[in-house]
Amino acid sequence: MEIKMTIDCKGLSCPMPMMKVAKAMKELKTGDALEMFGTDPGTKTDLPNWCTKTGNEFVEMTDLEGGITRMVVKKA
Amino acid sequence: MSESKSNHPLVHLFNTFFGKHWPVWVGGIVLGMLNTILFAIKSPWGASGGVANVGDNIYSVFGLFGNKEVVPINENNYGMLVILIVLGSFAGALFSKEFALRIPPKGEMIKGFLGGALMAIGATVGIGCSIGSFFSGVPALSGGALVFTFAMFAGVILSLKYLIWEMENRPGWSSGKSFTYLAVTPDKGRWQVILGVVVVVLIAIMSYSYAATNMVMAWFILISGLMGLISQRSRFCIVKAFRDPFMSGEAHGSEGVIAGLVVSLVGFTAIKVFGLGSISELSLRAREMTWVFPHFWAKAAAGGFIFGLGMTIAGGCAVGTLWRVGEGQIKLWFSALGLILISPLSNTFIVPAVDSVLPQTMKFRNYLPDYLGYDGAFLLVLGLILLWYWFVKWNERTGKFSAF
Repeated sequence: MEIKMTIDCKGLSCPMPMMKVAKAMKELKTGDALEMFGTDPGTKTDLPNWCTKTGNEFVEMTDLEGGITRMVVKKA
Repeated sequence: MSESKSNHPLVHLFNTFFGKHWPVWVGGIVLGMLNTILFAIKSPWGASGGVANVGDNIYSVFGLFGNKEVVPINENNYGMLVILIVLGSFAGALFSKEFALRIPPKGEMIKGFLGGALMAIGATVGIGCSIGSFFSGVPALSGGALVFTFAMFAGVILSLKYLIWEMENRPGWSSGKSFTYLAVTPDKGRWQVILGVVVVVLIAIMSYSYAATNMVMAWFILISGLMGLISQRSRFCIVKAFRDPFMSGEAHGSEGVIAGLVVSLVGFTAIKVFGLGSISELSLRAREMTWVFPHFWAKAAAGGFIFGLGMTIAGGCAVGTLWRVGEGQIKLWFSALGLILISPLSNTFIVPAVDSVLPQTMKFRNYLPDYLGYDGAFLLVLGLILLWYWFVKWNERTGKFSAF
């Protein structure tokens, strides 16, 4: 999958990761994929919930070394 | 999050609790029940009094504020509650392998401290925080708590507007170098689980050490530890409940807090109507007036508004700050520092100034059943809670008031 935009939310805690994701998604077109790197455990629940609510597709979540989680969202 | 693949029943049980986050409404219901037990034992959940006690003790070590008598933390139920919320959350984060020292960009740490400082001023002026004057105060049928809640809500909205402005116009303030230490991946880092066991054993020993001399403290320690763990697992946070409907439009956080409020409302009302608990020491009237603070209406309004501003900037309410401290979120360590260091200063310099300006009619104890009877007060509070539930669910569906 081609990643259209990547945002770095490492070190940020609630609500900043969700705010940055929501802002970035506004700049994307339907079908574009956004990649996010974060370290806040809360985002692992908040982002899938937000996708369910907004209709965006939560594509994947991967735990990486160093407490970093990579998440990919596709704009609906 | 940690999730072992073994089929052993105990491993399955462990995974149920620590494999993934709990729905926040589950956390809310359990916290509401534990809050009722705390009230039955002595008095309800609160955080700002304990935070101020920790601050007073720190200042007294350095000989500041003259000869003020300070109760040692280990003799103050609420001082210990604050410590145990952090320890309980620490245990929960370790068991789920979510503990890590997460150092955010510099701007976030500054915002954390400023948010904590505002929360300290709000809590001391308003006599209570998001727990004492909201999560416990509203079920305690306090008129002042309702005023505090509406004012806190206004503070959250204004502060959220600021955060959105900051993100659009000053993105650099929340960007920059960040560092994470001690993090593990779900399939590694068994040391976190082992350390979690050590922390739980320490909490149990701490509680047992009080059993012979101070049974109330022994129970406060156990329940506070559990509250910290449950808050961390369910990510229970008051600021999320107020903010998210207007930010992402989500209602999960609100549902959790609403569930806890309803459980506490039923429990607290029963305790007050029947005068349950430590009635031998107190008159029935004193039991009824528990957690009904002398802040109706102006003190509650001013304090609630400032507290709402602070908790939104900090990204954690009183309890949300404490359990995130236990999880290793360094931004919230700065918030806790702001709360702890500014609370005694505000109590010494700001609160007396505010009190001298406000007449008695703007800072009295308003107990709703005195005006509406128990049935009327109960129905009013329940009606407001259900109205809030209806609003957040309607807004979640329509997105009318959400920013994103």
